[in-house]
Amino acid sequence: MRQSARAAQQRVVGQLVDAFRQGEMSRRAFLRRCGALGVSLASAQSLIGADTRTPAAAAGAPRRGGILKAAFSADPAGFDPVRGPSGMSHVVIEQVYSTLMALDPDAKPYPELAQSYTITDDGLTYTFNLRKGVKFHHGDELTAEDVKFSFDRLRAPKSGYSYGAQVETIKSVDAVDRYTVRFRLSKVTGPFLIYMAFPGSSIVPKKLVDGGHDLNAKPIGTGPFKFVSYEPRSAIKFQRNPEYFETGKPYFDAMEYRIISDITALTNALLSGVVNFSNEIPPKDFAKVKGSAGLTAVTLEGSRYNWLLLNNTKKPFDNPKVRQAVSFALDRQALVDGAFFGLATPILGGVIPQWNWGYADIKFVSPKGDPAKSKALLAEAGYPNGITGVDIGMTLPSSFPNIMAMGPIVQANLAKAGIQAKLGTMEIPRYWDEVWSTSNFGITMMYWLSPLADPDDFVTNNYHCGMAINVQKYCSKEMDALLEQAKSAPTVEARKDLYRKMQDLSMQDMPIVPLVNGWLLIGHTSKLQNYRPMRTGFLKTLKDAWLEA
Amino acid sequence: MLRLVALRLAAFVPTLLATSVILFVAVNVVPGSAAKAALGIDATPQAIARFEHDQGLDRPLHVQYLDWLGKALRGDFGTSFQNHLPVGPELLTRLPVTLELAILAFIVANVIAVPLGAAAARSHRHRTDQVVTLVATVMGAVPNFWLATLLILTFALKLGLFPAGGFVSMAESPLRNLSLMIMPALSLGIVSSALLLRIMRAGMIEVLASDYIRTAVAKGAPAPRVVWHHALRNALIPFLTVGAVEFGWLFGGVVIIEDIFLLPGIGQLVLVGIINRDYPVLLASTLTVTVAVLTANMLVDVLAGILDPREVFVRPRT
Repeated sequence: MRQSARAAQQRVVGQLVDAFRQGEMSRRAFLRRCGALGVSLASAQSLIGADTRTPAAAAGAPRRGGILKAAFSADPAGFDPVRGPSGMSHVVIEQVYSTLMALDPDAKPYPELAQSYTITDDGLTYTFNLRKGVKFHHGDELTAEDVKFSFDRLRAPKSGYSYGAQVETIKSVDAVDRYTVRFRLSKVTGPFLIYMAFPGSSIVPKKLVDGGHDLNAKPIGTGPFKFVSYEPRSAIKFQRNPEYFETGKPYFDAMEYRIISDITALTNALLSGVVNFSNEIPPKDFAKVKGSAGLTAVTLEGSRYNWLLLNNTKKPFDNPKVRQAVSFALDRQALVDGAFFGLATPILGGVIPQWNWGYADIKFVSPKGDPAKSKALLAEAGYPNGITGVDIGMTLPSSFPNIMAMGPIVQANLAKAGIQAKLGTMEIPRYWDEVWSTSNFGITMMYWLSPLADPDDFVTNNYHCGMAINVQKYCSKEMDALLEQAKSAPTVEARKDLYRKMQDLSMQDMPIVPLVNGWLLIGHTSKLQNYRPMRTGFLKTLKDAWLEA
Repeated sequence: MLRLVALRLAAFVPTLLATSVILFVAVNVVPGSAAKAALGIDATPQAIARFEHDQGLDRPLHVQYLDWLGKALRGDFGTSFQNHLPVGPELLTRLPVTLELAILAFIVANVIAVPLGAAAARSHRHRTDQVVTLVATVMGAVPNFWLATLLILTFALKLGLFPAGGFVSMAESPLRNLSLMIMPALSLGIVSSALLLRIMRAGMIEVLASDYIRTAVAKGAPAPRVVWHHALRNALIPFLTVGAVEFGWLFGGVVIIEDIFLLPGIGQLVLVGIINRDYPVLLASTLTVTVAVLTANMLVDVLAGILDPREVFVRPRT
C-alpha cells in the first residue's frame, strides 16, 4: 500500500513538472505545491532544474512569422491516424492533430489535450480531464465524445490499424461528461500514457468523420498547424492554426515538408537554402552541414539502433555460443568510426539506450571486441578451427547506406575470428520479399527508430516469439514471460528490474547481436530558435520554435 | 501528307497496346512484392494477404491486365499503393514539368549541336573539326547524373548562382522557373548534344560535297550563305530523325535528373514507382513516357515530309 501511495505522489509531482514545463505554472507555485505534497524544497528545485533544455534557456523573445521548410526522404502513406502506418505519416499527423498526452524531448509523457489525469491504484482505470474550448480546425469544439470515438475507431475489429497492439488492452472508453473521459483496461499496461501520446492515438472530429469526411484526403484535428495541401512525392504544406490551444503558438506562419528521396540531394537542398531544416542528414554529410555558415548542426542519441540478425533456426547460429562468438568478434568502435563517422554509440549490452529509464548497465562486450574470446566460444561450440566451408550468406539491403557501410567491416571482423561469411546485396523490395520475410539468410542487418521510447517498444518487437520483425526466429518461453511481465508490472521500479533481467538473458541467448545506436543528425538554419530535438525523432516541439528575422 | 499522318496514327495504337502488355508483364516479373514494399519491415502475413486482396493482386495476371486496361481506357489509372491517391491527376500535374525540361534540354542540345556540327563540317579534317569531334566524344561519354552533380557543386553550392533544386511553375514566376530549370536542362542537353553534333557534322559533310552546293559556290555565293542557307536545310533531315529519338531519350533520361534536381515530374514518378513496386504508378508513368516518344516520332515524320517531300513515301518507318 505504501508503495502505491509513493507511486501516486510521484505521479502528481510528474504532472506538476509537466505543467511547469508547459509554462502553465510559475516556479513559485510549483515549489509551493511540491511542498504541500511533502517533497523537500531542494529536491523540488532539482526536479525542474534538471531539465537543461527548457525553453527559458533559449535566447531572445519569440518572433512570429516565417516559413519552416523541412526536408524528408520518404513519402507519407496517408494522414488518417487509423491508416498512416509509416513514420512519415506520423510527422504530418502530429502537427495537424493532438493527443491526450504528448512526449517531451526526453520522451517523458505530459498531458496535452488532457489538462490532468488520474490513475486508479490498480492501474486499470485512467480518467482524463480535457482542456476546455479546444477547437478543431473546422471550428467545432473537441469533447469527450470525440476522444471516445477516436479510440473506438482504432479498436474496431476491422480497423486495419497498424498499431493495434497499443489499444488491445483497452476494455472500454467512456465519455463521463463533456470534458471527462475514462479508459478501462483489461490489464495493467506500463506504456499506456506513452501510447496516448503516439500520433496514431490522435483525436479526430467525430461529427465530421461520421458525416463521411475523408481524413486521408484532408486531415482535420486540433494541432498547431492546419493541413493545406499534399503533392505526392513532392511537398506537404501547412499553415498556422491561429486558434491553437497553446495561446500564441505556433510561431511559424507556415511549414512545408519537402520530399527529397535522394539523400545527397537532401543535404544539398539544406546547404543551398532550398530548405532550412532536416533531421535526416546522412552521417557522411554531417561535417559539411556543421561547417556551413548559417547552419546549425545538432546531434542527439535517440533509439535508432542497428542490429545483426543471425538465423536462430539454422546451423551454425542455432547455437547460442556461436551467436555470442559473433558478438565478441565485432569491433563496434570500427563500425562507429567507419560507417557512422563517429556519430553513433556502440551498444555493449542490451539495446535499451542509456538515456532511457529502462537502460541496464551491462558491459557484455568491449567496444573493440575480443577475437580471442570469440575463438574460444567457437571452440566450445565445436568449431575449434572456426567456421569455414559452410555457406553463410550475409545479404544486406542496398538501400540503407549505413548498413551497406557496416557490411564489409562486419565481414572482416568475422573472418578474423574464423567465421567466413559471403557478402551479398539486394535492393529493398526484393530484400523484403526474398530475404527478410522468408528468413532466408545466415546473417543480415537491420535498423529502426522506435517511435515510442518505452522500453517495451525497444525490445518486444525483436525478442518476443512470433513478432513480425523477429525474423531471426528466436523463441524462448522465459524471454516471453519476462517481456510480458515487464510490460504490465505495477511500478516503474518493477518494470526496470524486469528489463534488466530481460537484457541479461538477451546477452546469454544472443538471438540478435546489437551493434550501434546511430544518432539523430539534425541540420537547420541558425535563425531557428528554441528548437528542442526529440529522442523519438518526432517534430512535435516545432510548435515552440521560431525563426529570427 | 494526310495519308502519312493517318498511317502513323494507325500504327500508334497497336504500338501503345503492345508496349502496355510488355510493361505490365515486366513490372510483374521483377522480383519483389508490392505488398511487402508498401508495408515494410514489420509486415505480418495477414497484413500482406489483406493488402494483396484489397489491391486485387491475388488475381491471375491476365485478369489484372484486362481490368487495368479497361479502366485506363476510361482515364482511370488506379490508385497508388503507397499513398492511396489516384494516379491520373498526379500524372497531369507532373507532365508539364517533364515536358518543359525535355524541351529545354532539347533546345540546349540543338543550340550546341547545330552550329558546332556545321562548323566542324566546314573545316572537315582541319583543326576546328578535330577539336569539336574530341569535345563531342567527351560530352557523349559523360553520364548526365555525374554532370548534374558537378553543376550543383559548382553553380549552386560554390558560386551560389542557381538554387540546387526545386520547382516553381512558369505561371508563378518565369524567372525562378528558368533559374531552377537551367541546370537540369544543361545536364541533359549537353550530354545529348554529342550524338546530335556528330549526326549534324556527318550530314553536313555529305551535303557540302553534293553537286548543288558546288554549283552555288561556283556561282560565287558567299560561304556562310552556302552553309546556313543552302546546305543546312538538307542536312537537317537525317538530323531530325535522330533528334526525335533523342527527344524520346531525353524524356526517359529525366528519371534520374528530376530526382537529383527535385523536379516533380514524370521521371521522379517512374523512379518511386520502381523503388516501391508501386505498380499503378509505374505503369502509368512509363506509359506516359511511351506516348511522348511515339508522339515525338510521329511529329518528326510529318516534319520531315514538309522539309523534303520525297521522304513521304520512300521512308516508311515504324
